[in-house]
Amino acid sequence: MNNFLLAWIVLIPLLSSMTLGLMYLFSIKVIKIPNIVFTVLGLSSPFLSFMIGFSFFLQMIGNHEIFLYKAYRWLSVDGYDIDMGFMADKLSIFMVLFITFVGGLIHIYASGYMKTDKGYGKFFFYFNLFLASMLLLVLADSPIIMFIGWEGVGVCSYFLISYYYEDTKNVQAGNKAFIANRVGDLGFIIAMITMIYYVGSNGFDYINLEAGMQNVPINVLTFIGSALFVGAIGKSAQIPLFVWLPDAMAGPTPVSALIHAATMVTAGVYMVARFHFLYDLIPNVGLIIAYVGAFSALFAAIIATKQTDIKKILAYSTMSQLGYMFIAVGLGGYSVGIFHVFTHAFFKALLFMGAGAVIVALHHEQNIFKMGGMRSKTPIVYFAMLIATLAITGIPPFAGFFSKDEILLTAFSSGEYLIWGIGVLTAILTAYYMFRLLFVVFHGKNYQESRKLHTISKSMIMPLIVLAFGSIVAGFIGIPEILGGNNLVGSWLNDWKNSSLHVEHSREFILMGINILAAVIGTYVAYKKFFNYDMAIVPKYNGIIWKKFYIDEIYDRFIVKKVKEVSIFISYKVDVNFIDMIVMGLSRGFIKSGHFISKVQNANTRFYAFFMLVGISVISTYLIMVMR
Amino acid sequence: MADSLLSYIALAMILFSIGFLGVISRKNIFIVYMSIELMLNAINLIFISLGRYYETMVPQVMAMIIIAIAAAEAAVFLSLIVVLYRRKKSLDSDIFTVLSQKDAHE
Amino acid sequence: MVDIVFIVLALFAIFGGLGMILFAQPIYCALSLIVCLVALGGIFALLSAPFLFMVQIILYAGAIITLLLFIIMFLNIKDVNLPDEPNKVTTIFVGAALLIPFNILILKAFSTLPNKPMHILGKDFGSIHSFGIELFRGWLVPFELISILLLAALVGAVVYARKGSVDG
Repeated sequence: MNNFLLAWIVLIPLLSSMTLGLMYLFSIKVIKIPNIVFTVLGLSSPFLSFMIGFSFFLQMIGNHEIFLYKAYRWLSVDGYDIDMGFMADKLSIFMVLFITFVGGLIHIYASGYMKTDKGYGKFFFYFNLFLASMLLLVLADSPIIMFIGWEGVGVCSYFLISYYYEDTKNVQAGNKAFIANRVGDLGFIIAMITMIYYVGSNGFDYINLEAGMQNVPINVLTFIGSALFVGAIGKSAQIPLFVWLPDAMAGPTPVSALIHAATMVTAGVYMVARFHFLYDLIPNVGLIIAYVGAFSALFAAIIATKQTDIKKILAYSTMSQLGYMFIAVGLGGYSVGIFHVFTHAFFKALLFMGAGAVIVALHHEQNIFKMGGMRSKTPIVYFAMLIATLAITGIPPFAGFFSKDEILLTAFSSGEYLIWGIGVLTAILTAYYMFRLLFVVFHGKNYQESRKLHTISKSMIMPLIVLAFGSIVAGFIGIPEILGGNNLVGSWLNDWKNSSLHVEHSREFILMGINILAAVIGTYVAYKKFFNYDMAIVPKYNGIIWKKFYIDEIYDRFIVKKVKEVSIFISYKVDVNFIDMIVMGLSRGFIKSGHFISKVQNANTRFYAFFMLVGISVISTYLIMVMR
Repeated sequence: MADSLLSYIALAMILFSIGFLGVISRKNIFIVYMSIELMLNAINLIFISLGRYYETMVPQVMAMIIIAIAAAEAAVFLSLIVVLYRRKKSLDSDIFTVLSQKDAHE
Repeated sequence: MVDIVFIVLALFAIFGGLGMILFAQPIYCALSLIVCLVALGGIFALLSAPFLFMVQIILYAGAIITLLLFIIMFLNIKDVNLPDEPNKVTTIFVGAALLIPFNILILKAFSTLPNKPMHILGKDFGSIHSFGIELFRGWLVPFELISILLLAALVGAVVYARKGSVDG
């Protein structure tokens, strides 16, 4: 009955962003509008969306209702009708809740972080648009509407990553993100076209697709699933399309927080979960997804151990955690994967915000080996970061423990021991690099004690506290049954998709123990190496890991350069010698023939009369032929 | 032969064709003018022969009006020729191109 | 008898016309045209249009062409003033060839009319009396308009031919 409110979840941030954009233009062209106006408008929209989302959440408790709202018919082409439709089931409303909640907190944080930026209004315009796109992606009722949000997210990430556009490097990073995403989008589009071809004849929303999928040949399904996953790889930064994610750190820190926690990168995981009906039919592709996730997780974790840029470390950790999520959704544990998305949103947002606070305090210093000793100077940030680090490491009872444990449990119980092994190894590495970061930044001996710190505003601290609290408790809604909890997330999402596991309790305990042990080992190694680290010796890193396995260079050499060569060939050879020749030849031909024809109009009346005669003659001949 | 409509029409068409050929082939502005007169007369002949054919006076009135207009035309045309000849010292109809926009383009 | 008259008149008309377009000197052309027009007037008479026959001879041959001759003589055109016409004959032949389909078309169209004897009708048809009744009953307004047109042409001709305004 109130289903139209679904559209307003998306519309509020969208309208707000449009208003902000217009106001910003007005502000720079006519009269300066005070920042407080932008702040109020920009911050209110995520919370209004959250309220609406929460009302739907309340209506959904205890039943299996799915809310559908078709706003209007968007396209109608030759029998294919595409409605601008919104759908809220348990999965999407769950996503909406934490996107708007964490997103809203990041908005508050950004209002502090960007306080002195001259493009303040513009920044919130992008931010709200980003949120609106993500919400549209989540609430869409068909892949096509989802694709609008999908592209919106991509373009907003481009805007925000290259936000400091005065620096060419940042713009290049934005381009990189956008192009890498486009590669993935191609997969999405191909998958969508194939789906329309095979099952699009009677409606193209998820419900019809789910029904239609049963009759499609298995190899076609495999193709669709693989192509969709290419899209997910691009968006969620998995091997081999992850290169944009570390570079995306070029944007302001709230942007990194928003991209990595609430929006964008989770889109890929969400999509795989959304198409669970497809992936259930093709477990082989699911296995590939799980392996890609596992290797991405390990790969990113290895790279992260040697990085020195605080934000890059966090970026690789995001990639690693996304790998975990793909392990879960690939093996059919959709609720587990989404649970990890949820907890990850909290602690990753917290990590980025904490890192941002440190960076601001140290006047935009990002190298962790130039920080050190921040514990006494910024105690709140320290505690927030500590909680977040514990959460991502998987130390109970913090949020990450429960979700990570369930993922590894899923992997183990599915019989994929290799994936499980990689997961545990990654967990050790995660603990190692996260505590390395924490120890170096907050405990390391600092020789620049006298340095004056930049003040961190209240609006940046407040979300930290909220999220720190969230990182502690977020896991509690998913406490597994053996620990006395009742796995609220699992049962909530079970209504939507049953993915319960049956493992012996003793084995489950052992696995849990192994996880904790892995976390402790990693922490211990980091403690030995980096606790009270002496900043006098800034380590010089080199070697293959520091160079990120030369992936960027390999891509540069084998893809970027080749594409450039082809582009240069086309632009200087084909374009000049072929296309231009045709185009210019045509226009020159027109000019020449124009000159030639203009000779006919030579003001010679007799000549005109002669041509009139020719015309009369031709028409007469024709009429004689016709009139028998 | 003289009581067949077609022979009159044929004669009219021959005269009309001769007039047309005069217009397209001759440069002399006088002859162009006379050719036009000849064409008018050919049309008059068609009118009158059709009037005879249908036994009505209306075409004759038409022919009369055409002759009157030809007279008016003669007055204007000939005065124009006088003016043009005074200016250009030539009777070549091809050089009378002042009203064309040809020069504007080149 | 009428046939012979018709043929003779027709031949005069045709040769007059041909002479008009073939002679180089405009004065000969004008004289040929007079022959042609007088012959045409005769044909008008054959078509039971005595009034028009009269008008043709008086107005055309007598007034218009005489005016033309007067102008030609008045301008005193010499051979050097005559334009070169190198392509005259070629154009005439090409044009004649191109006009053949048009002529065939018109004749074909008229040949569909049913054949009807065209002997000379009684005095009443085409006489000044009946012509005047027809003109002033059915065509009064066009007649008056023509008179205005003639007046305008007269004024126009005077304005054009005025020496000062043109040379200035």
